[in-house]
Amino acid sequence: MQASNSMATSLAWRLFKHEARRGELTIILLAIVLSVTSVLALSLFSERLQQALTDRSAEFIAADSQLRSSSPVDQQWIAEAQERGLSTAFQLSARSMAFAGDNLSLSDLRAVDSQYPLKGQIKLSDIPFGQASVTDQAPQSGEAWIDSRLFQLLGVDIGDNIDVGDATLQISKILNEIPDGGFSVFDTEPMILMSSDDIAATNIAGPGSRVTYKYYFAGDSGDINDYYDWLRPQLDREIHRWQSIEDDDSPIGRSVARAEEYFLLASLLAIILAAVSIAVAAQRFSQRHFDPVAVMKTLGASKQLVRKIYLIQICFITALGIVLGVIIGYTLQELVVSLLADSVPIALDTWYWRPLGIAVFTGITCALLFSLYPLLQLFSVPPLRVLRKDIDATLSSRALQFLFSGSAVFLLMLFYSGDLLISSILFASGIVLVALLLGMTFLLIMLGRKLGSGGMGSWTLAWARIRRRAMGNSVQLISFAITIMLLLVVLVMRNDMIKQWRDQLPEGTPNYFIANITESQKDGLSTQFDDFNIEYDKFFPVVRGRFVSINDEKIRTDITKEGEEVADEGRQGLGREANLTWSTELQKGNEITDGEWLGDWQPDPSNSEQVIPLSIVNDLAENLGIKMGDELTFNVGSEVITATVTSMRSVDWQTLQPNFFFVLHPKAMENFSPTYITSFHLDESRKSEISMLMAPFASITLFDVDARIDQLREIIGQVSMAVEFILVLVLIAGGLVLIAQVQASMDERLQELAILRTLGLKGRRIRFSVINEFIIIGVVAGLMAALANEFSLYMLQSRVFQMPPSLHMEYWAIAPIAGAIVVGILGAFGCWRLLSLNTSALLRKMV
Amino acid sequence: MSNTPNMIETKSVTKKVNTSEGSLQILHPISFEVKPGETIAIIGASGSGKSTLLGLLAGLDEVSGGEIFLDGEPLHRMDEEARARLRGEKVGFIFQSFMLVQSLTALENIMLPAEIAGLDDPKGRANKILKQVGLEHRAHHFPNQLSGGEQQRVAIARAFITQPKILFADEPTGNLDSANSEKVEDLLFAMNEDLQTTLVLVTHDDELAKRCQRQLRMTAGELVEVSPQLKVVEGSMQAGSKQ
Repeated sequence: MQASNSMATSLAWRLFKHEARRGELTIILLAIVLSVTSVLALSLFSERLQQALTDRSAEFIAADSQLRSSSPVDQQWIAEAQERGLSTAFQLSARSMAFAGDNLSLSDLRAVDSQYPLKGQIKLSDIPFGQASVTDQAPQSGEAWIDSRLFQLLGVDIGDNIDVGDATLQISKILNEIPDGGFSVFDTEPMILMSSDDIAATNIAGPGSRVTYKYYFAGDSGDINDYYDWLRPQLDREIHRWQSIEDDDSPIGRSVARAEEYFLLASLLAIILAAVSIAVAAQRFSQRHFDPVAVMKTLGASKQLVRKIYLIQICFITALGIVLGVIIGYTLQELVVSLLADSVPIALDTWYWRPLGIAVFTGITCALLFSLYPLLQLFSVPPLRVLRKDIDATLSSRALQFLFSGSAVFLLMLFYSGDLLISSILFASGIVLVALLLGMTFLLIMLGRKLGSGGMGSWTLAWARIRRRAMGNSVQLISFAITIMLLLVVLVMRNDMIKQWRDQLPEGTPNYFIANITESQKDGLSTQFDDFNIEYDKFFPVVRGRFVSINDEKIRTDITKEGEEVADEGRQGLGREANLTWSTELQKGNEITDGEWLGDWQPDPSNSEQVIPLSIVNDLAENLGIKMGDELTFNVGSEVITATVTSMRSVDWQTLQPNFFFVLHPKAMENFSPTYITSFHLDESRKSEISMLMAPFASITLFDVDARIDQLREIIGQVSMAVEFILVLVLIAGGLVLIAQVQASMDERLQELAILRTLGLKGRRIRFSVINEFIIIGVVAGLMAALANEFSLYMLQSRVFQMPPSLHMEYWAIAPIAGAIVVGILGAFGCWRLLSLNTSALLRKMV
Repeated sequence: MSNTPNMIETKSVTKKVNTSEGSLQILHPISFEVKPGETIAIIGASGSGKSTLLGLLAGLDEVSGGEIFLDGEPLHRMDEEARARLRGEKVGFIFQSFMLVQSLTALENIMLPAEIAGLDDPKGRANKILKQVGLEHRAHHFPNQLSGGEQQRVAIARAFITQPKILFADEPTGNLDSANSEKVEDLLFAMNEDLQTTLVLVTHDDELAKRCQRQLRMTAGELVEVSPQLKVVEGSMQAGSKQ
């Protein structure tokens, strides 16, 4: 047995060595290299990028995870986190009045410990509204770092004192920004950052006070998850709320999440491409070894020995493919990373073992799973083939092969993505495509019967060959179409996604928000904007109200409870106070999803009982279980407003414009004096005009959101670039697969070419007949791919990417044309290589 | 009649295949014997069933009926694995299309049966026999780098490396020109004589057949004509003794 093992290994090694040297393993080797390269490069790049983006996202919550609580938590919880190796920090936030002499202002008070922030940085300015600079310090006891606006509102300067609650603090720094400061046009209070050591002195955290306690955690994600698992049973949903980076529902968070979905999709498609190419290559490998196996069996080799020889050989090929794939994948990824290093936030000096593991596993799985059926076929070749070349493998079952390969692809996709939805969508698309293609092949064969008889013209020969090689062509057509479809999906998704990101922040996006505009200031401000020739948005009236009941049933005050987050930090406030607006005009980016917009509603002055219509955001309605026709009640000051839900809206939260959960009919609000908010865009070059513009309106609050917009633009630009890279990688992978497919099919055409050549048919005509055959296949594959592409995109965009699905008519033309050109050129090249051989060499190649 | 045990003995061997039009009998009951060291030629036109008979005799295919004994071992009762073992131990092959493994060199092709049979020093044996066939300078060439004649000489060397008791040759000169054919024939018969191997040669070439001690002619699945040494027994044939 041992002798047989060493003999099998030695023979397998010799076969491998010679075949590799003679280029006979190129196709299968290339397929494995391709699978490993693409998976490694994509995973490694995506992992490094994701890590960088995650770090960035972490900056928005100043930690990897955050625990919010409306009361102080058990210190044992914090000690437990520290024992588990996590870093911790603390912040108390509250709205409180700040006094300086006779001046007072409501402020957003943040008291932090010296560890704060765990992620991100505190930024200070030298002068109010000046340039920001980073500090690694935190306020000391007795110090107050205050927002630029407070200097104006309180009329104070550095070194002056302010009173916060019962404590007096000295103003020592001008606060520009903290990482988890949040952004909302409704959060109008200027911020004060102070030391948590002074909390007791302020007496603001007494019983009944509205204070939020935030505990920050940073560390290894596994440790954090373990800690959360430990903590979760102890959390009270009414009091505590756990937030991690994944919960980031901001526009940036959503863009990053969508990009991650895209990376996953691209990687999955790369795996399918690799699988297709391995399947094609393995089939070819198997067929080329039918004769050697028959010879070995004739010479006395047992089935077991043949199995050993070829399994060992496949292991050698796989090992070489993996080694080459890892080297090429790493180099390629490193090359791109170094090219993008200046513009993309990538963790340059980190090595991730997971992608390497995934790539090696994928290489092994692909090589073995997709070689298995061809190998089983190979093992079943009877020795009698040495006498009768027409005898093939005794194992031949297309259904078994499709079933086997299909299950393998699906399992691989599922394993890799862990996402049943994406895997199922892509797999179902594939099945639909295969079914369509089989139907189309049948039609083609019928057509071939008509067009492929009665002549030796290149088109006639092409059609005749399509008819004759019906099964071979159907397999080839399917693999071409799947490849083209996968490329289309990656390409179109990338286009749609990047377009949507860019649309989110078009040129002229408002970079200033103004709040607290009174009724009397409205006209003056409009005139001022016109005088300065500045375009501005509509004035949105805002009144703060407390949402108290649904159909007279009282609701909880804290609606944002553990696991049921309804809004991101920017729009939070519901549960405390809702920002109510009213309008008869549907706001831009809003779409009615149910009911009718309240614009046409007419109040009936004679009916005092008349219900007033209200429009609610559908996501919120879903979370709170609000249905059409429900009566919602709000307390605004001492008044009570009741309105009926007559429509539901979807809102594009990704735009930077103010959005409202509740829009009422103006009739409901006619007795209230609102303040207004609006926004406008001012070019960088005109920034100096801002003080003149706002001078007459001292009480108005102005927000400069340029920094936020720049940040968002920067991240979108970076993510787009990463997506472009992945697209290029997948395109290269797809191109290689097409080459492998054409190469494989050339072997099958060899015999016919040799016969035609021997019969004296001119090379030019043979060449054109092959090119025409490939053009026909390319057109049909492209057309089918465009169809399947629409189906896949519809499913992916509506179910996974939460994007509005759309038709892509241009690809119905582009795909067949590109299919014809690319497949035709590849066919021409393959054919040229064969026909450059003389007839005897061609015949010898057949032996 | 000699009492030497038969190298090949067939008793009413038949072969049927299933076609779309039903069962088709390719070989009608055939019985004959071949003594050790004998050289016999099975001749006949294309499609007469001679290669089918060769496949059955060599254990490459299964009989539909009857019995075949190869060196006393009942081929008809063996499964594929047992037949493979028997082939490895006792049988050598030469084919019309050479059937060399394209990915192995001439030397490695020759070594192959010795390695499969687990013989000692396959490389040394291969080198020695390669010298015998005059191709030591082509040891490391691949089949597609050799001429047809050279490839067949490699195939002959491969067939003899295990010193088989019986050699089956299927149209060994069918792919060669006349000059090369003659060289290959000479080599084949010379080595056969040296090693006293039993030779069963299938050919449609009467001249080549004449170099064998006995000739069997296949026509439409039946042995209808025999050489003088053979006599017909009850509608099939019984091998006579060697002259």
